[in-house]
Amino acid sequence: MEKRKVELMAPAGNWESLQAAINAGADSVYFGIDQLNMRARASMNFTPDDLPEIAVRCNKANVKTYLTLNTIIYDHDLSVIKTLVNAAKDSGISAIIASDQAVINYAASQDVEVHISTQLNITNIETVKFYSHFADVMVLSRELSLNQIKKIVDQIKKEEVRGPSGELIQIEIFGHGALCVAVSGKCYMSLHTNNSSANRGACVQNCRRTYTVIDKETGDELDIDNEYIMSPKDLCTVDFLDQVVDTGITVLKIEGRGRAPEYVKTVIETYRSALDSLEEGTYTQEKIEHWMEQLNTVYNRGFWSGYYLGQKLGEFHNASGSKATQKKVYLGKGVHYFPRVAVGEFKIEAQHLKVNDTILITGPTTGVYEQVVEEMMVDEKRVEVAKKGDNVTFPVNTRIRNSDKIYKIVKNED
Amino acid sequence: MLIVTLQRAKCIGCNYCEELCPELFRMSKKDGKSVLLNSIDRKGFHTLHSNHEYFDAAENAKNACPVKIISVKMT
Repeated sequence: MEKRKVELMAPAGNWESLQAAINAGADSVYFGIDQLNMRARASMNFTPDDLPEIAVRCNKANVKTYLTLNTIIYDHDLSVIKTLVNAAKDSGISAIIASDQAVINYAASQDVEVHISTQLNITNIETVKFYSHFADVMVLSRELSLNQIKKIVDQIKKEEVRGPSGELIQIEIFGHGALCVAVSGKCYMSLHTNNSSANRGACVQNCRRTYTVIDKETGDELDIDNEYIMSPKDLCTVDFLDQVVDTGITVLKIEGRGRAPEYVKTVIETYRSALDSLEEGTYTQEKIEHWMEQLNTVYNRGFWSGYYLGQKLGEFHNASGSKATQKKVYLGKGVHYFPRVAVGEFKIEAQHLKVNDTILITGPTTGVYEQVVEEMMVDEKRVEVAKKGDNVTFPVNTRIRNSDKIYKIVKNED
Repeated sequence: MLIVTLQRAKCIGCNYCEELCPELFRMSKKDGKSVLLNSIDRKGFHTLHSNHEYFDAAENAKNACPVKIISVKMT
């Protein structure tokens, strides 16, 4: 396969998301194991025993695998990180994403490829040179502008800054997803209020709530137009991806290891399509509108361009939670697949399913599939509606499994 | 009698419990998670019956735990 100009990197919080990312056309995936990653709270992390299968599944699909080991590290973690780096190496994981020097140093000493995490906030060429002794790929700080990014990339080429592999340093940036009110990796709010350190991957996201500011001398409550003053909108670059790619970055990372598998599917499919269009020279306004519509269907706090197009204040979230135009509603689980006729049987455990409903099928092996139910049967009879308790069968576009769950997609009325 | 329970699978290894109650908690060098010393594991819930003199320290550890996996009871 010809090497793509820009690598599209997908988040994988669990098997469903991992498979969804592969199916949606990601070039690489990143994921955490146990507690030493920035989503330590998520119950969705993998375990060390999952590493070999992750590597096998991804290698087969020609997808690179990156293990995030990017929290701050205490003394009692030191032997754990060695075990994890060794396990990653033995399993054939492509690289480790690290921020603590203990991890960077150990991984490099074991000849394991290192990528520098956003937690280190690289904002200049000298820092790139410093870490080039250890790492081949570096994520730049989310707070840089595209001009600043381009200057760093140009300087790498001019000065021929090379990593341990001997290749020029590759620059990665975030393309889509949540942004922090603080400079990434430097927020202590969650630690102060909940003892729960963001830098140990345990952020409670209290910046996403509403706050009132009170003048202590007078007791006056300050009137703030936008109540969610610490919750930035989500980063979205699909509408100026041409400018992003022109900076010379080689990896585009999608945030969201805590997000649902259909989020990964939709966002990766969208950016895959956008990157491919750029390479083919068919990146048009019409397509951009379609992509924005797609991205709006999944979890988002409203979109803005981050800091890439220069400082722009006031882009804060003005509502609680997601602005997604769609949501999924749980219906039931997979029961059986009849391969000869490509029909799936599902048990409806909640709500009801109607003909012409759009459904999502998700599972650790299946990934995420979306389709419209055109016809269905209950008890060998054609029906228009399948109710709670029914076993329903209908033609499916993919093999389904009894580990799968079925949802229907409905408009978000909120 | 003081009864302390730790649901250790969910531990993120922040070290607070050992800091506040070193008599009962220790960070494992093997997996980086907290160990409730001399406790008995029943399906992931590690329980220790101990002398009540550690009640205050255990309470402090419980309250500091960011993932709320420590429970402390006096009988």
